[in-house]
Amino acid sequence: MEEFEQVDILLVEDNPFDAELTMRGLKDQKLANNITWLKDGEEALDYVFRRNAYANRVDKSPRLILLDLKMPRVGGIEVTRAIKSDERTKRIPIVIMTSSKEESDIVDSYNLGANSYIVKPLDFESLAEVARQAGFYWLAINRVV
Amino acid sequence: MFGHHTSIHRKLSYVVLATAAFALLITGAAMAFYDMRTFQQTLVDDLTAQADILGLAAEPALEFQDPESAQDYLRLLEAKPNVVGAAIYAANGSLFASFAAHAGASFPELPDLDGYRIDGGEIGLFKRIATHHEILGTVYIKARYGIVERLRGYVGIIGAVMVLSLVTAALVSLRFQQRITRPILAITSAARHVVETRDFASRAEKTTDDEIGVLVDAFNGMLTEIDGRTRTLESEIAERKRAEEALREGDNRLRALNTELEERVTARTAQLEAANKDLESFSYSVSHDLRAPIRAIRGFSSLLIEDHGAALDAEARRKIGVVSAEATRMGSLIDDLLAFSRLGRRAIEPSELDMQQLAQTTYERLCQADNTRVDFRLGSLPRATGDRGLFEQVWVNLLSNAIKFSSKKESPVIEVGGISQEHEHVYFVRDNGAGFDAKYRDRLFGVFQRLHSDSDFSGTGVGLALVHRIVTRHGGRVWADGELGRGATFHFTVPKESPDGRV
Repeated sequence: MEEFEQVDILLVEDNPFDAELTMRGLKDQKLANNITWLKDGEEALDYVFRRNAYANRVDKSPRLILLDLKMPRVGGIEVTRAIKSDERTKRIPIVIMTSSKEESDIVDSYNLGANSYIVKPLDFESLAEVARQAGFYWLAINRVV
Repeated sequence: MFGHHTSIHRKLSYVVLATAAFALLITGAAMAFYDMRTFQQTLVDDLTAQADILGLAAEPALEFQDPESAQDYLRLLEAKPNVVGAAIYAANGSLFASFAAHAGASFPELPDLDGYRIDGGEIGLFKRIATHHEILGTVYIKARYGIVERLRGYVGIIGAVMVLSLVTAALVSLRFQQRITRPILAITSAARHVVETRDFASRAEKTTDDEIGVLVDAFNGMLTEIDGRTRTLESEIAERKRAEEALREGDNRLRALNTELEERVTARTAQLEAANKDLESFSYSVSHDLRAPIRAIRGFSSLLIEDHGAALDAEARRKIGVVSAEATRMGSLIDDLLAFSRLGRRAIEPSELDMQQLAQTTYERLCQADNTRVDFRLGSLPRATGDRGLFEQVWVNLLSNAIKFSSKKESPVIEVGGISQEHEHVYFVRDNGAGFDAKYRDRLFGVFQRLHSDSDFSGTGVGLALVHRIVTRHGGRVWADGELGRGATFHFTVPKESPDGRV
């Protein structure tokens, strides 16, 4: 597990409590030390593409993006589209974590190249477990990426 | 003889005049024939008598060979203007004496037997002079026959009579004819008038009671009939025209109404679509935004226990547990409500369903989750056509209800069966559980309607509403029988011809 502690996870989530619970779940499972939390899609795109506030960012690109769909300004769908259509970033795994069970959201996400789609469970334990599994899966299994 | 366009008046005149002319001609011819015969006979008789007289007178002259006295007798014939000449032949046939009324008259060389011969407007007659069976000689008289002149005279008379009588006949016929033709002409002109003006109300005047009178009556009768029929026909045509007009007007109104209706339907559809969109975004918001706080309540309740549990007493932990449990219940209420509202928007995708297998697998899945000890009796179920996902929900809800409400029995029994009827398949799920009061059966299928307290049996009250909606969307029916404490039976039907409508 040692090597996973060094990975970067980018969490894009507008709800601070959901963000806190997710991060708590990931940390409890000793999955990741380096989690960057951004509050909306615009910030996420700035971060990923090193623009504006993140123009001088020195960190490496995130190894995994956990992305909410419904966010102010730029939503998760647009973020997915931008990242997956750019040659430099399209190999970064994106896991959609959202409350929406709408079929159109699921279809759109997969069509745009999202690697996974997870409906946020209601209880904290499940959420933490889902986050852990998603992180583990995409960081451990998909090392080739 | 008559042209097609010769008037009846003229035809009648022709007939009268022709008849008169023929009658006169035949009469004239008969009279002429008779007169000619009489004339000839008289002439012959007359000549014969003269010849006899001459013979008697010439007897002595012949006996005494005295031609001169015979000549004298012959010369007496000068008194007869029609006599051309005369001769007396001796018994030996030689010309004894002759007399010619004018120069150039010729006599036959030899006498002939008694008799006469007509030749070129002259008649020659021989008569033997005989006494005591001794032939003394022959008298010959030649006279102008004159019959052509006589005939000519006749023709002249007949012609004059004919002209006179034809004129008279023409005048008379003119007078009498008018009595015949006038009524006919009246009918004709009446008919022409009717044809030209189409005035069926006009009538021909009746002046006689003969066949023409009958004709006039018949004509007038026909006119009356035609007039009546024309009026009926005209009123019928007018009626029909009015009806057609009304029909056309109605048609136009109908078309206008139809157009209006279509416009309204289009407008209403647009409104409905907009409303549906609103509803969609509403449910989207609900699912996303309402779940987040619940997750926070639950999550932070858990974190509170996990991080600060040691500092809390049992009562505080119990209260936090209630907060968490209620938040969970609210979450499932929201989920069920969303599932129910999503049902109305989702199109049915029908396919052939093995209902028996569907019930079996659903039951097994529920058993794994609930880990019960139910006596599950699954009969053979007819196959049906419907949306697989939706009917899965039907079985989930009915079977989980049956499991739930029979869970407090010592030996719970769930029976599932089905039968195929003429137009529909009927399925049922029966349990021996808590049942329900039959007077509330209508409330079973309403949203959030519950007949049991949450402390007895947990639930949101959406399950049966969902079943009801799915089954009715497939064109089927749902009903329930039950008795409090003695179990319940839920029936639903699926039509054999699956409709594609929505609720």
